[in-house]
Amino acid sequence: MILAQAPSPPVEWAGISPLLALFGGAVVVLMGGLFPGRAVRERVVPGLALVTLLIALGCLIWQWDSEQDLLAGALRLDGLTLTLSVLFVVAGIATVGLAWRGFDRMESPEGEFYALVLTSIGGMVVLAAAQNFVALFLGFELLSIPLYVLCAIELRRKGSLESGLKYLVVGSVGSATLVYGLALVYGATGSTDFAAVARALTANAMNDDVLLLAGLALALVGFAFKASVAPFHQWTPDVYEGAPTPVTAFMATATKAAALGVTLRFLDVALFPAADDWAVPVAALALISIVVGNVGALGQSSLKRLLAYSSVAQAGYMLGGVVVGTSLGVQAIVFYLAVYLVMNLAAFAVVVARERETPLGDSMDALAGLGGSRPLLAWPMTISMLALAGFPLTAGFIGKFKLIEATVQGGWIFVGVAIVIGSMISLAYYLKVISVMWMRDAPAVEPAPAVKITPAGAPPPGGRPALAGGSPELDAEGRIDSGRRDPELVVLAVVFGAATLAAGIVPQPLLEWAAKAGEAFPGLF
Amino acid sequence: MSATTFAWLALALPLLGCVVSALGYRAWPGRSVGWVATGALLASFACSVVTLFELLGEPAEERQLVSSLWNYAATTGLDAELSILVDPLSVLMLLVVTGVSSLIHLYSISYMTSDRGYARFFSYLNFFVFSMLLLVLAGNFLVLIIGWAFVGAASYLLISFWYRRRTATEAGIKAFVMNVVGDVGLVLGTFFIFQGTGTLDLLGTFEQVDGAFTENQAGLVAGTVLLLVGAFAKSAQVPLHTWLPDAMEGPTPVSALIHAATMVTAGVYLIARMHPLYEQAPAAGIVGAIIGCATLLIAATTALAQTDLKRVIAYSTMSQIGYMVMAVSAGAYVAGMFHLMTHAFFKALLFMAAGSVIAAMANMQDMDRMGGFRRAMPFTFGCFVVGGLALAGVPPFSGFFSKDEILAYTAERGGIFVVLVAIGYVVAFITAVYTFRVIFRTFLGEPVAEARELEQGHLHHADQPTNPATGEVEDTDVGFPGPDHHVAERAFPMKVAMGVLAVLAVVGGLVQIPGVTHLLDDFLEPTFADSEFYEALDPSPASEYIGLAVGAIVALAGIATAWLVWVRRPGTADAVRARLRPAYALFANRWWFDELIGALVVRPARWLGIFAQNIFERLFVNGTLVGGSTGVVRASSAAVRAVQSGFLRFYVAFFLAGMVGVVLWFLLSA
Repeated sequence: MILAQAPSPPVEWAGISPLLALFGGAVVVLMGGLFPGRAVRERVVPGLALVTLLIALGCLIWQWDSEQDLLAGALRLDGLTLTLSVLFVVAGIATVGLAWRGFDRMESPEGEFYALVLTSIGGMVVLAAAQNFVALFLGFELLSIPLYVLCAIELRRKGSLESGLKYLVVGSVGSATLVYGLALVYGATGSTDFAAVARALTANAMNDDVLLLAGLALALVGFAFKASVAPFHQWTPDVYEGAPTPVTAFMATATKAAALGVTLRFLDVALFPAADDWAVPVAALALISIVVGNVGALGQSSLKRLLAYSSVAQAGYMLGGVVVGTSLGVQAIVFYLAVYLVMNLAAFAVVVARERETPLGDSMDALAGLGGSRPLLAWPMTISMLALAGFPLTAGFIGKFKLIEATVQGGWIFVGVAIVIGSMISLAYYLKVISVMWMRDAPAVEPAPAVKITPAGAPPPGGRPALAGGSPELDAEGRIDSGRRDPELVVLAVVFGAATLAAGIVPQPLLEWAAKAGEAFPGLF
Repeated sequence: MSATTFAWLALALPLLGCVVSALGYRAWPGRSVGWVATGALLASFACSVVTLFELLGEPAEERQLVSSLWNYAATTGLDAELSILVDPLSVLMLLVVTGVSSLIHLYSISYMTSDRGYARFFSYLNFFVFSMLLLVLAGNFLVLIIGWAFVGAASYLLISFWYRRRTATEAGIKAFVMNVVGDVGLVLGTFFIFQGTGTLDLLGTFEQVDGAFTENQAGLVAGTVLLLVGAFAKSAQVPLHTWLPDAMEGPTPVSALIHAATMVTAGVYLIARMHPLYEQAPAAGIVGAIIGCATLLIAATTALAQTDLKRVIAYSTMSQIGYMVMAVSAGAYVAGMFHLMTHAFFKALLFMAAGSVIAAMANMQDMDRMGGFRRAMPFTFGCFVVGGLALAGVPPFSGFFSKDEILAYTAERGGIFVVLVAIGYVVAFITAVYTFRVIFRTFLGEPVAEARELEQGHLHHADQPTNPATGEVEDTDVGFPGPDHHVAERAFPMKVAMGVLAVLAVVGGLVQIPGVTHLLDDFLEPTFADSEFYEALDPSPASEYIGLAVGAIVALAGIATAWLVWVRRPGTADAVRARLRPAYALFANRWWFDELIGALVVRPARWLGIFAQNIFERLFVNGTLVGGSTGVVRASSAAVRAVQSGFLRFYVAFFLAGMVGVVLWFLLSA
């Protein structure tokens, strides 16, 4: 009775079309996965997921110039929403490419996998567009819960299950912290709407309010957890390592963009009047993150763990853009997020390719001698590592340059200095990857499982006995490389590697694109 | 399609040629890579010609076009755009560089045929031309610096082209180090100027320089003198000139291209390009003019006493560039650019002819062992004489008009410049003497064994390839010169290249005959319209003709002297040498500049380096800085990994501890 009387809010169908496409596509993909037959699972379902993402991208481009409130002000379509959503969708497309043909035939989870990816992207779009605490938390959970499942989707592998469980437990603590923090901020300001919170803060001058400060601190911790900012990063290396690599790539790029995007919106819109309260702690988190991420990555032999620590450090760099609370900072972060996505996806494509080609998994040994044998994989990886370290003529250099510029202009010079010092330390582990690829030969002897089951005395399959002139080293080397070649991975690596280089040489278009995100913050200068 | 589009094309084609010939070094059969590289240059030259006509199609006051490809770093207060400036001055340089380079590429097709590094050579040559065009077309200090440094790098690669030859690599290093000194000067000078004007754009700088600096303000003088340091290093002016004679270790086409026609004139171009700065800082201009005059005297006297054929021409290059530097520093911009153009023609021609002679001598360069090549190589002889007459300044060859225009215009400035001009006339005499000394000793007289062998129709080959400078035995594999060599008489591309240059060396001066033609003057007017000297320096035709007459007499007197000393009475040279022993020692030892620089710079630098390596580096840097900081990083890395236990309960506990920390911070700090 009451429900019937409540006026239903107007629905801006065009504005929410990207969301509709993603969620509708998720349902279609999930249903498609139920059909029997390998061809359907391995071709149609990923195809449908790809089409869904392309439609969502089309909707975003269609709505590119619009700027409006959606669903009674719960969401907002503006520069930040649009630019970040494009990043989520691009990361999704890359994830589909990385995951395709990568599933164990016994498990066949294609339908669930792609549906969950699409749902998670939908959650990210909601999160980036959120205008009040309810929508924010809804998006946060919609993004997180599919990820818990995705991490554990390789049911028969212990590492995957461990990763999913760890993420679920720590993630629940993080979500609880966030929702508690949001509740306290609501209690202090009496509103869940971002704009209304900002108005209440300005009107009541409540900079010393205990309720507000406690809520702000808890919410900040929740966001820091999701963006894997130290000291709330400890789940990151374990989860990244255990999760299937395409999922890791998706988490490292899209989740990071979503978490930093919402942090930006939460702090620079809702709580901007309280900037004096949060700026110093955020700067402290940035510094801790830069230090912990960079020194943690030293000495890692697993590429995924290395990239996990690297992502902790990169989150620290980007927090530097949040601290300053300027339009320049927003642009620098969005630009860096785009660049970070591109260069990380190039690296992950190479990691996935080598995981499938060798039995060495994501160990750095899998890359040994890649420069000579697979230049099309080695070059993108090299460019990606140089870009992550911030080498000139790569996009990473321009990205760091903009971040440092933003911090210096905003008067937080020591954060800029920390970014530079962090980059210096980071060269130690990024260059190590490059040196392994170009300066080390592929490991000669490898206790591959195929050897163990060979009966003693019999020549290993495919190799010639040493007496007949065959070289044992050569044979062993032949076994290390399974001979499997997935061209789509090479294409992804080359495309993202080339994009990294191109955006470093001609940064202007991407800078203008990032400038659109800055328009979403009219209150900043 | 505007002028700038074609200028971009002219710039892009050599780069394309460089990449294509480098990537396909295995695939190109035979000499095809040489033709590809030459084709790229010819196309670039064609684009330059179109640029010229497009530019002439514009009204005179709109002939300064700027085109920006993209903005590399749009940040506060820095306009680092990748832009080119197309105006008459840069188009003149564009035409000279691409035109002469095309001919030298053509020459190299034959000259380098048997060399194992054939494709590498053409790739380097194309890269050099690209760098030079980047320098010439730069519309922004940033692009200028990039081009400037690229040219130095290309020069290093080409001088050390025979990289297994120790003398060649040492010469390359010497050239590179001295050029880097110049690069530092250029960069620092740019900072000084940028500090005042706040822009890196060239035209913007020129507009603002009058407002930003008062006349002879210290900052501007420092900046322009530092730019001069860059110009001196690139143009081999005293005291940064000692690399140029050594650079003759490179293949002869390289000497013709880089060390005669293009790279070494970059300093002249730089001063002419920056003329609004020098007019606001006349003190720096006087410094430039004096150094130019000193160089032309020192180099010309040194050339008198050298016996290495290519080194004589190298010193003559330095001397002629001294004229140009003196001219553009004094404000006689058109005269300086005019001489730059004619010099490019006749000096490239002289180097090519010398290359032909050296090939006939089986890579021997010592003039003491040459003689009588006149009948064996009539075409080369003809070209050498044409080049020599132009260099000596005999009417109506090109060098005659351009050199005398420099002297006439510089004299108009009066004061100290009259002294400089007097020295200029003395050196004109010396120039004629040393030029014809080379011609008489190489081509006249009794034919040497090699010349007679060539007359019989057979090209001399040494029993064993050796380094002509040290006599070290070499092989003919990659990194050394190839087994065969070629002379202009037999190789058609070499003959064409030299023929075209010979014609240009004869007629090149006709564009600027005092009182008759002033093509170059009119063409360059839009660039120099804002110059105070451009209008003011206007010697009357009468004084110009007096200058021309004096120049002609001096040149002919010099040739006559050379004829007397080396042909008519062959013993005279030894007698003169015995009479003037101290002077001869000074000239033969190149004024002891190498020794001076060695004692003043190289040796202290080496001591400092040994000290730094043994004491500072070992104890302070390695022990304290590196050891300390890596120790800290290692320890913290171990700490981070130690807390990464893998236990979930521990992670959650850590999370909660961190959360409590953040909340407490918020509550306590408020």
